[in-house]
Amino acid sequence: MSIPPIDEATLRTLLARAGLPDSPEQAKAMMPGAEIVQRLLARVNAPLPREAEPALTFDVVQK
Amino acid sequence: MSEILTVAEAGRQIAAKTLSPVELTKAHLDRIRQLDPKLNAFLLVTEERALADAKAAEARQMSGALRGPLDGIPIAHKDIYNTAGIRTTAHSRLLEHNVPTRDAHTVKKWADAGTVMLGKLATHEFAFGGPSFDLPWPPARNPWNTDHFTAGSSSGTGAAVAAGLILGGTGSDTGGSIRGPAALCGIAGIKPTYGLSSRAGILPLAFSLDHAGPMAWTSEDCALLLQAMAGHDPEDPASVDRPVANFTAEIGKGVKGLRIGVVRHFFEADHRASDATRAGIDSAMDFFRKEGAEVRDITLSPAAEYHAVGYLLMINEAFTLHAPWMRERFHDYGELFRDRVALAATFSGADIVQATRRRRLLCREMTEAMADLDIIVSASQPGEAPRIADVAKWANMEKPSFTMPCNVTGFPAISICTGFGEGGLPVSMQLSGKPFTEPTLFRAAHAYETATPWRKTRPHIPLPR
Repeated sequence: MSIPPIDEATLRTLLARAGLPDSPEQAKAMMPGAEIVQRLLARVNAPLPREAEPALTFDVVQK
Repeated sequence: MSEILTVAEAGRQIAAKTLSPVELTKAHLDRIRQLDPKLNAFLLVTEERALADAKAAEARQMSGALRGPLDGIPIAHKDIYNTAGIRTTAHSRLLEHNVPTRDAHTVKKWADAGTVMLGKLATHEFAFGGPSFDLPWPPARNPWNTDHFTAGSSSGTGAAVAAGLILGGTGSDTGGSIRGPAALCGIAGIKPTYGLSSRAGILPLAFSLDHAGPMAWTSEDCALLLQAMAGHDPEDPASVDRPVANFTAEIGKGVKGLRIGVVRHFFEADHRASDATRAGIDSAMDFFRKEGAEVRDITLSPAAEYHAVGYLLMINEAFTLHAPWMRERFHDYGELFRDRVALAATFSGADIVQATRRRRLLCREMTEAMADLDIIVSASQPGEAPRIADVAKWANMEKPSFTMPCNVTGFPAISICTGFGEGGLPVSMQLSGKPFTEPTLFRAAHAYETATPWRKTRPHIPLPR
């Protein structure tokens, strides 16, 4: 699954929403890590088989 | 004392009354005074407490009332283990003056077993952010070459055991924090099965991935130390209420008949390990085959799958715990901890649900892979310790970890030394097993360690001028 790339403005918005310092310097310091996290998120959000977790497999488009 | 003993050797000599716990403790305190200025393994040396513990052990020795194989053994605790009346900092400015009122469950168990506590050991900040140079104390250094990294987060324990400052110590492991330093410092370290040893009184990093375990020079020592850590504790909700195995019961039985699967793609394709690491594992598998084990390659999901699930859950759980402090005291944390954990702000509840679902699949995959195996083998680390100055801020995120799969699944895993690389620093392998099969891991690790020369060489640390 593709995850949209993150930019510094988005990162600052997300940090502010979490109540963390959201200065340009802080966002710049975290950007390389944020890009790696986007790659990790793409992995965990790849399609899952139905048996992934029975209580959570409801999908509006049942396969 | 000219030679550094193992826990087992020292225990036997104390039992035979040929070794004085007080003399042993004084020798280790002297060694700490001489060498720790180069290693930074200790955040605090508790000399008075150590001598009191040692005198009590010696009194029991003289009266024939020793409590077991750990009575009189010099140990120390990673500084996330609470120690009553003794500063416990998590190597962080936030807890610089924190003095707990109670011992962690495992600290008390080791004290009850008669161990002699020499002090508190360096860690990466809150068992995650390191190596950091912006904290109140410097990071630990690798005894095999002090310009090099120990790995983390149980960095002080790895350095102190390898340098012979202590005979054993505590570690914690959320993504590899026992096995990583064990690997890079050339010692043994076991992350037990999830729930086997209590985390009560240990400062948490990520509650669904945290494990408490021992580190020592040999796997046999780890077995002895784990024996005194394991057991049910109602104060840890994950603690398992079941009888504790005898962890030394299978030691000496060899590996004949064991079924061993090698996850070769982890360390050859997913994250290619060094030549020396791969050669060490190949040589170990030759040894296991020769001794009568059945060895074959197996395939699991790519290491990156386990890494993504584990890493995202880890920083999410860490952020859950630290968010109140991070909002108020962000810049009191070191840069590495705060910038890594703050990344949890960039993902959603849906992402965590997906990671949790995938975790369930990976647990099932590992269970099925182990159905007809006793042990799974992989690397512990990709190679020798890098120079500490060369460890990049995002290094532990970028490439898949070999240790994370057993945090994601909760399966037990031990790291042991398999020799030395081109730079003269240790390389290692990792043996993992089904839940609660620690005795089998100790059996195989001990067979390998006693058949190879790696336990006979200690690092030479030049004395400071």
